[in-house]
Amino acid sequence: MRRVAGLRGGETWWVLSKVLVLAGCGLGISAVGAAAQNNYEIQVYGADTVAPQSTMVELHSNFTLEGTKPLRGSAYAADRMFPTDHAEHETVEITNGINGWSEVGFYIFTAERSGQGVQWMGDHIRPRVRAPDSWHLPVGASLSLEFGYQRRVFSTDTWTLEIRPIIDKTTGRWYLAFNPALDRSFHGESVNQGVTFAPAAKVSYDFNRVVSGGLEYYADYGKFFDPDTLHNQQQQFFPAIDLNVSPAWEINFGVGIGPTAGTDRWIVKGILGRHFEWKHRRAGSSDSMQ
Amino acid sequence: MTRRMNRREFVAAAATIAAGAAAPDVVRGLRGLEPEPAADVKLEIAPLKLEIAPKKVIDTVAYNGAVPGPLIRWPEGKPIAIDVTNRTKLPEIVHWHGQWIPSLADGAMEEGSPMIAPGAMYRYSFEARPAGFRWYHAHSFAGHHLDRGLYTGQFGCFYVEPKENPGRYDQEIFLTLHDWNAYMGGGGDASMDAVYDYATINGRMLGHGDPLRVREGQRVLLHLVNASATLMHWLALAGHDMTVVAMDGNAVPEPRKMQAVRLAPAERLDLLVEMRNPGVWVLGETRKDLRDAGMGIVVEYAGQTAEARWMEPAETEWDYRPFAHAQAAAPPDQVIPLLFESKFAGHGEFDYWTINGKSFPKTETVTLTEGKRYRVAMTNRSMDDHPIHLHRHTFEVTSLEGRPLSGLLKDVVVVKAGTTAAVDFTARNPGSTLFHCHQQTHMDFGFMMLFRYA
Repeated sequence: MRRVAGLRGGETWWVLSKVLVLAGCGLGISAVGAAAQNNYEIQVYGADTVAPQSTMVELHSNFTLEGTKPLRGSAYAADRMFPTDHAEHETVEITNGINGWSEVGFYIFTAERSGQGVQWMGDHIRPRVRAPDSWHLPVGASLSLEFGYQRRVFSTDTWTLEIRPIIDKTTGRWYLAFNPALDRSFHGESVNQGVTFAPAAKVSYDFNRVVSGGLEYYADYGKFFDPDTLHNQQQQFFPAIDLNVSPAWEINFGVGIGPTAGTDRWIVKGILGRHFEWKHRRAGSSDSMQ
Repeated sequence: MTRRMNRREFVAAAATIAAGAAAPDVVRGLRGLEPEPAADVKLEIAPLKLEIAPKKVIDTVAYNGAVPGPLIRWPEGKPIAIDVTNRTKLPEIVHWHGQWIPSLADGAMEEGSPMIAPGAMYRYSFEARPAGFRWYHAHSFAGHHLDRGLYTGQFGCFYVEPKENPGRYDQEIFLTLHDWNAYMGGGGDASMDAVYDYATINGRMLGHGDPLRVREGQRVLLHLVNASATLMHWLALAGHDMTVVAMDGNAVPEPRKMQAVRLAPAERLDLLVEMRNPGVWVLGETRKDLRDAGMGIVVEYAGQTAEARWMEPAETEWDYRPFAHAQAAAPPDQVIPLLFESKFAGHGEFDYWTINGKSFPKTETVTLTEGKRYRVAMTNRSMDDHPIHLHRHTFEVTSLEGRPLSGLLKDVVVVKAGTTAAVDFTARNPGSTLFHCHQQTHMDFGFMMLFRYA
């Protein structure tokens, strides 16, 4: 006996429109691909937002089994960044629900590699709005806007913006999600390259109430209107498992392969999330949702 | 494209076809072979555009063009004839919830009551009993069509007048709770469930209907029924306590004052309220999101014109036990153990339900012997609460979570998730008897079984 409260659409649409306009203005200046989060947060977003008066805390743990290697006699790889080979990336993501159709997320990115210790990589902030249930859309739809900084030794672009439309659908035992994200850089090597297209997608199947398994796809095609050759694109495929042990927990695990030269070859990723509700609800009471 | 017929839909179709061949007393209105005495009550089932608030119009189906349908007050034991005409495009049926009436008049196709075909008229004839607050509602299959059955406005109150009514009240008010515009939601870690856009009391959203007008010093008897297809509701009257005097139309052994009350789907409460706090108040859902969705009504004292006020009640635990006797009930003649479980069908689908491992219509049919007293011992091994309803009988709640009680007479009882409950009843109304969860999403997906008399 659950319920999503009645939400009026007009106000939400106004906010969505504003976000789209702002994002469009930002992307229109000029831009370039900047997959700043690569290998730090490997996740295809679902359309749902975190409920108001609650917070989701996630730890993204990604280990690159085979990635870029340092140049001989140097601590850096060819792109003047720290190598990713055998690097452990730990990202803390804290997302707070604002109301029934919006949330804001904050990221702390860190990296650890032998000889380099634990390094702070950067921070991002990510507001997101979604189409309320009362719109009765046949799919879930939301729009995320992510802005932040990452250090030059971890990314060729330091200030970046991502606008990520999110569409998903749960039907029977199947779950489908598509994130056709657009990236641009404000500072770094890619500033003049324009908007880049970095889509992600997921298809999964519920084997039972707890275990869902499927395939996640992450890519960065380069410039939106002039994509890189396939050889230089980022392409990653992650067979992944989701464990739905409780509404309070999120558990995701996958092993990814990058078949192109522009992608780290092997990555192991895991997400552990915990949902905290700040509104007191006592089961079986007048404050309960049962 | 062809579509496979759901088993319950098949039973419905068969029942509709069989209507013409059913028991003569029941269907004589259809045949028209002899002059009919005039009906005592006429109901017309027809589409309705229901305005629940300005510019908020629900396309639904209702009785006599209104939500709720007409209040039927009828003396206990007196025969009543109710003509029901179906002006919709789908077969319909009306269930007379909580009454001890024959299977063929009860209004459940699973028991043999005929469906009323589109355009047809059907006469329900029975003696109204037992006394107390009953109700009537659609009992048709909805499945994934969340605009049919109990999701519609097909419900109304039926008050069976007792032979003697002490009438310790000054005003009597009937209130029906309902949720509207259902759609499949949830998912994620759980299965889908019905969620709603709007909620109403007596067909209007909070602030958009006529207020309940009271006077200081009055004793007001509220008759509440939760006519929601799937949702439990918690209600409080700001600034007032409410004394629970009856549940499901039957006086409780131990009336108690409460700041908030809970009603599962199909449950009724009779609440006595002493109007001692002049003002304009909200009688509404204790949860803000549901009040915002419309679940509430304004209570206005005579001469008061202020803005309606809401005050949070103290957080309230709901337990049937304090309204009952603490002693255990007498042992029954026979125990019927029932295990409720869900079958996962995907995070994007409703669960399927089983009783003792089987879904309706494959559930076992328990044979009863007239005169014997039975105990239905229920174990709910699912993650949902279930408002369990037994047709055509009243039962006594005799155990909750392993602890005994007695004297509490009901026809719907909530078996909480992961717990046990037991109810006792005497087999004294021969005929097929339906037993089911009253959540439409559960009864449509297997959570039913039949009792039959030997």
